[in-house]
Amino acid sequence: MLEIKPKPAVAAPQTHNRIRVLSLLVVDGQNTLTKISGVIRRRGFHVRGISVGPSRQPGHSRITLQIDHGHAEADQVRKQLERLVEVVEVEDLTGDDVHNRELVVATVAASELDALLKRGAKVLSTGSDGTTVEFSGDADQVADFVNELARHGIIDVVRSGPVVMRKSE
Amino acid sequence: MILEALEREGVEYIFGYPGGANLPIYQHLHEHPKLKHILVRHEQGAAHMADGYARACGKPGVVFATSGPGALNLVTGLCTAYMDSVPMIAITGQVVSTQVGRDAFQESDVIGATSSVTKHSYLVTKIDQLPRVIHEAFHIATTGRPGPVLIDICKDVQQADAERVNTEYLEIPGYKLNGHVNLDGARQAAQALAGAERPVILAGHGVLLSHAERELMQLAEAAAAPVGTTLLGIGAFPVKHPLSLHMTGFMGTGWCLKAVQNADVLMMVGMRVDDRVTAKLSEFAPNVKTFIHVDIDESEMGKNVRPHIELVADARLALEAMVPQVTKVDAGRAKWLGQIDKWREEHPLRYRQSNGQLQPQDVLIDMYKRARSEAIIVADVGQNQIWAALWWNYDRPGLFINSGGSGTMGFALPAALGAKFGRPDLPVWCVAGEGGFVMTAQELSVAVEHQLDVKIVLLNNRSLGMVRQFQDDFYGGVRSQVDLTHMPDFVKLCEAYGLPALRVEKFEDIAPSFDAAERTKGPFLIDFRIDPEANVYPIVPLGKGLGEFREAPEYA
Repeated sequence: MLEIKPKPAVAAPQTHNRIRVLSLLVVDGQNTLTKISGVIRRRGFHVRGISVGPSRQPGHSRITLQIDHGHAEADQVRKQLERLVEVVEVEDLTGDDVHNRELVVATVAASELDALLKRGAKVLSTGSDGTTVEFSGDADQVADFVNELARHGIIDVVRSGPVVMRKSE
Repeated sequence: MILEALEREGVEYIFGYPGGANLPIYQHLHEHPKLKHILVRHEQGAAHMADGYARACGKPGVVFATSGPGALNLVTGLCTAYMDSVPMIAITGQVVSTQVGRDAFQESDVIGATSSVTKHSYLVTKIDQLPRVIHEAFHIATTGRPGPVLIDICKDVQQADAERVNTEYLEIPGYKLNGHVNLDGARQAAQALAGAERPVILAGHGVLLSHAERELMQLAEAAAAPVGTTLLGIGAFPVKHPLSLHMTGFMGTGWCLKAVQNADVLMMVGMRVDDRVTAKLSEFAPNVKTFIHVDIDESEMGKNVRPHIELVADARLALEAMVPQVTKVDAGRAKWLGQIDKWREEHPLRYRQSNGQLQPQDVLIDMYKRARSEAIIVADVGQNQIWAALWWNYDRPGLFINSGGSGTMGFALPAALGAKFGRPDLPVWCVAGEGGFVMTAQELSVAVEHQLDVKIVLLNNRSLGMVRQFQDDFYGGVRSQVDLTHMPDFVKLCEAYGLPALRVEKFEDIAPSFDAAERTKGPFLIDFRIDPEANVYPIVPLGKGLGEFREAPEYA
């Protein structure tokens, strides 16, 4: 999936226009994730981002997916996932007005963190081997932030998948 | 517990094989005399038997297998049923729940191995899940677009007992059924079809599955639109009807392919529009201005061909809604139908009759004379399958069974036995090549054990005929690994299994051999030594468009 090197330039993927953003409500179960990933692989799609967490409904989870639909028609991703009995609901949020949030946690060597804090980063801990910060934002903001991190000497960085919610009207 | 649930679902036959991880089920089998268990000789045979049973009688086929190799031997059979949308329930034993994940003896990840070839699957680790799961499984396998459902049950669950729960009530929030017809869409589709200058309807397996043959006929006649069927749709429209185009696809009839390639409106009903139907996709039906697609599975819309009008609905309901909407038929229709008649004359089905060798078509034509439309034909995969599809005039639904999507060699014999269990009132003929036949020939024991009245027609050309034909025509004539000279003496093989058999090498012996087969109660095999150079025509060269079909040479 996403590989972040301690260097700037997180280029937008060439396949940007083939990305679908889907929000799935799924039944919790030992086979659910296997079956979803199986359909994605088998139909020639490719996962660009994923996050999973509990939903408001007991026994159900919310999965946010960013998927490259490959050579298939864009809407095939939704249709193929809806065939799964484990998948209760698929909402296609591509192109909609949404809140799209990703989280990044990083440890940097520098102690001068003003540039990061100005962007909204929060310090989680400081120690002899560096300072750990967290930052959340939309995909572009997170990419910018990671570029900024590189100037501070990244020791370690982890990023979450996206969580996406449609904006209320 | 499991067996009781199966009785409640109305199961009559179980095709299965016992082993370590399903012993608790087998221990109690004798307490359920309503459930007739057929002991197969290989689990793949069980899956194909259940498949043939389901296709012949419409009820879901039920399979038992043990864990590990037993369950994995089902994979090909599950895939065959999945590709052709056949309802099936596979109940596999799994190791004790506390042993799962420890690489126990005969443990395998059956859900993982089968999830791409099943409509749905369950791993049952707790007894209280079981009654609900079994009832749900039957519901899912048989409704909407049917398909195989696998239930993997841990051995300790099989031994446990649970309170009987009320299984009348089903709640499966993630299972969506499309039945409702969009009436606007139906009206648009009917008017586009009737108003077209050159319409064609193609009918697939979905028409048979939803029993929409009558509505298809009504629509075709009302709109004066000719009808072709896919390989799996054979029987959806009578071949001898004046509007019939017979079979479409890359081995379809010349007049059907001409019609498809020249059509301006193409309605595709209950079919997947796969590569065997379209040939080269970019050259499929190039003159069509309006594609209409009717299918119960929404994901089929635009998967291969983007329709202009789509109806996600049961084929019967959709066609029923269209019929009254046909009002004005285009004035040019007689000209179009006349053109198709001309193509029918210009591109007839033909075969070599002059070289003194036994021709497969002669065998099938004689068979048809006897069976008329009163017998089920179960074909294997390869040349035998296409000959059996093209040289019979199927005029009723449900008489032709074959593995279309998966193309599973070895399907015919066990599926024919299953079909006979499902429809004991109908004669059942199995048509196979010798290559596919030996892949599952061990099931002859089942035929003999139950004295199943199945007649096996072996079209034996001592080679893998379809592969040989492809190599001759499309791979530079290099014959590679297709020679099957070294095969058992099939008459002696049958003797060893305990059924009568005959070998036929001459045209004159066809009729007497069928007489002998028909006089004999129980299984019978005829080893027809056919012309090893006999080919399937028409055929579209691999990678070419449907319009480039090659026909049989005009034999002297």
